Amino acid sequence: MPDKPEQENTAEAVSQLHVFTSPHIHSRETVSKTMWSVFLALVPAGIAGIYFFGFPALKVIIISILSCVITEALIQRLNHKKVSILDGSAALTGILLAYNLSSSVPFWVPLVGGIFAIAIAKQVFGGLGANIFNPALAARAFLLASWPKQMTDFVSPLSPDAVTQATPLMLLKEGKFHDITQIGISYWDLFIGKRGGCLGEVCIIALLIGAAYLLWKGYIWWQTPAGFILTLGGLSWVFGTTGFFKGDFLFSILSGGLVLGAFFMATDYVTTPITKNGQLVFGISCGIIAFIIRRFGGYPEGVSYSILIMNAFSPLIDRYLRPRKYGTKLTAA
Amino acid sequence: MDVSKFMVIMISMVFINNFILSKFLGLCAFIGVSKETKPAISMGFAVTFVTTLSSMITWLIYHFLLIPFNITYLRTISFILVIASFVQFVEMVVRKTSPGLYRLFGIYLPLITVNCAVLGVAVLNSETFFQEGYTTMESFWFSAAQGFFAGIGFLLAMILMSGIRERLELTNVPKPFKDVPLAFIVASLMSLAFMGFNGFRF
Amino acid sequence: MKKLIKEFTKGIIIENPTFGLVLGLCPTLAVSTSVSNALGMGAAATFVLLGSNIIISAIRKIIPKEIRIPCYIVIIATFVTINELVMKAYLPALNASLGIFVPLIVVNCIVLGRAEAFACKNPIVNSIFDALGMGVGFTIALVIIATIRELLGTGKLLGLIVIKNFAPVTMMILAPGALLTLGLLIGLVNYFHIKRKTNKEITKVGCDGCK
Repeated sequence: MPDKPEQENTAEAVSQLHVFTSPHIHSRETVSKTMWSVFLALVPAGIAGIYFFGFPALKVIIISILSCVITEALIQRLNHKKVSILDGSAALTGILLAYNLSSSVPFWVPLVGGIFAIAIAKQVFGGLGANIFNPALAARAFLLASWPKQMTDFVSPLSPDAVTQATPLMLLKEGKFHDITQIGISYWDLFIGKRGGCLGEVCIIALLIGAAYLLWKGYIWWQTPAGFILTLGGLSWVFGTTGFFKGDFLFSILSGGLVLGAFFMATDYVTTPITKNGQLVFGISCGIIAFIIRRFGGYPEGVSYSILIMNAFSPLIDRYLRPRKYGTKLTAA
Repeated sequence: MDVSKFMVIMISMVFINNFILSKFLGLCAFIGVSKETKPAISMGFAVTFVTTLSSMITWLIYHFLLIPFNITYLRTISFILVIASFVQFVEMVVRKTSPGLYRLFGIYLPLITVNCAVLGVAVLNSETFFQEGYTTMESFWFSAAQGFFAGIGFLLAMILMSGIRERLELTNVPKPFKDVPLAFIVASLMSLAFMGFNGFRF
Repeated sequence: MKKLIKEFTKGIIIENPTFGLVLGLCPTLAVSTSVSNALGMGAAATFVLLGSNIIISAIRKIIPKEIRIPCYIVIIATFVTINELVMKAYLPALNASLGIFVPLIVVNCIVLGRAEAFACKNPIVNSIFDALGMGVGFTIALVIIATIRELLGTGKLLGLIVIKNFAPVTMMILAPGALLTLGLLIGLVNYFHIKRKTNKEITKVGCDGCK
């Protein structure tokens, strides 16, 4: 980090210092505070999920969080390391994983997913700060590859007998509509979450409230979410299914896991670029990849995969988009 | 010639059927040389160069020699001999004419003879593009393209892996997983991520 | 005789091609989707190893040093072709599931590696035992990985259902599952090396010596 000149007003100085937990973590408290803040910001979306999908949603959330936390505690115990579950990172992985699941998955799905997320995608690398891939998304990809049927059974919102229903994006992929009025959903429905989907992704307004809190407190920057959302929305609008510049911008950004992914997973400190420019590149690239998968790929939604793929690029982005030392020319890395 | 077929070949070879992450061809070189970025890129270029040209040469052998004389069962022997000789020849030429180029990728050339990816793509070509429905020109150019993009897929995987492994050098990896085992686990997660391109349709 | 037995057993544990020397990774990951494939590939590789080791050892004093690698390749390729033709004729199902990896035995680092490291320097009988040991060791390693993958990925072993009422972990029979299994197993092997302080942890891939 570059040295800052001394300021007379220390409060002003403190407000200009950005303490960020990248791979180099200094203070335990800062990590906890960040993790639990993000966790808190996610709670409204979970409450909405439970409202729309009932008790099964709550079950999935609890099992997922417990699975992650207990796995981490067990592994750290086995390695004779300090058990650090109170720092909130395992709980955060747990809640993010749960939000990426359908409420109707069997109990062992979040259970095994949590174990995979913590043991394979995090602890094997060396624990917090060392992982390359987002553990919650890696676990989701693992679950989708392993139990495709269970992972793609989605439920109607507010239906007491859990009627199965395809999500809007699934219907789009099957070519079942070109205009959202054809499937009986309004933009307002999409905004408040009255649609089939993963339990934490549906309620856009709840997610935005949490995201606004994180942006205001400075825990996340606008570069990644803006790059991601605007790119995916823009490309969907330009290359509309019915013709150029006839795509449904609002639908593309309100459906699927875009808002959840862009604000809460593409902004993960450990697995995404450190610099602001890097984050912009990350966000835009995610948008491009997610659009390509949505339009040409076999899956209806590409947000999770796009983030995972860009996670692999993050070390390179960090390497080649290093901030220049003041006064030097940009030479080859 | 159908130009969109080239697009399909590219997407297939680089993303969906990536030689390393999906077909496991070229793994030894992948795990062995991906620790640092410069050697990784050099190896990637060398492999791409060899796969492209050997795809073309083996196509010529298959088309003008093996099929007319009905000795396609000699495919394995002839292919590997051609590849080994070609690589040897290129190494000699590069060493004599351009030390810079030699240092760039020449030193990896002998290793590439036994790289599964080279023989693999040659065999794949002979099984894909020699059926009904392909004209001779199409067969040749599609084979060359497949060889080229197989190499590019290899290069992409190498670049990503080297970036990741260089960063992992700075972290405290648990001792049993240091280096090779973790490289496999990273490859597993990369492979999982690339599954997102399954079912691609233009 | 004791020495010959040692040449055989070293290939099974200490210098196991997969978990000791880390050679021949490509087929290891690709064909370990089922135990029957693993056994088939193991047998094929052992046959080629045996044949090439015998011939190369027999003519080791005649081959000039400069062209030894191309000579080895021709000899190995011959046995690979014999194997290919036999499999196409009598074991078409196995040939189809092993696919591209049947001809690729010719660039399998294990075969060329043993030729370079052992057969060209040792008498025929020793080379036979070495080939058998390496072949059996390779087969055992393949079967271990295949057992894990087939059991977890389909709930079956050798095509027979073993675990009932089980939603199989489909990823295990796919590419990521193979890489994950191998990574975890090598990690396990390293764990034992560290515990026993043998200083033989696996830190690089064996193919570097394959030049």
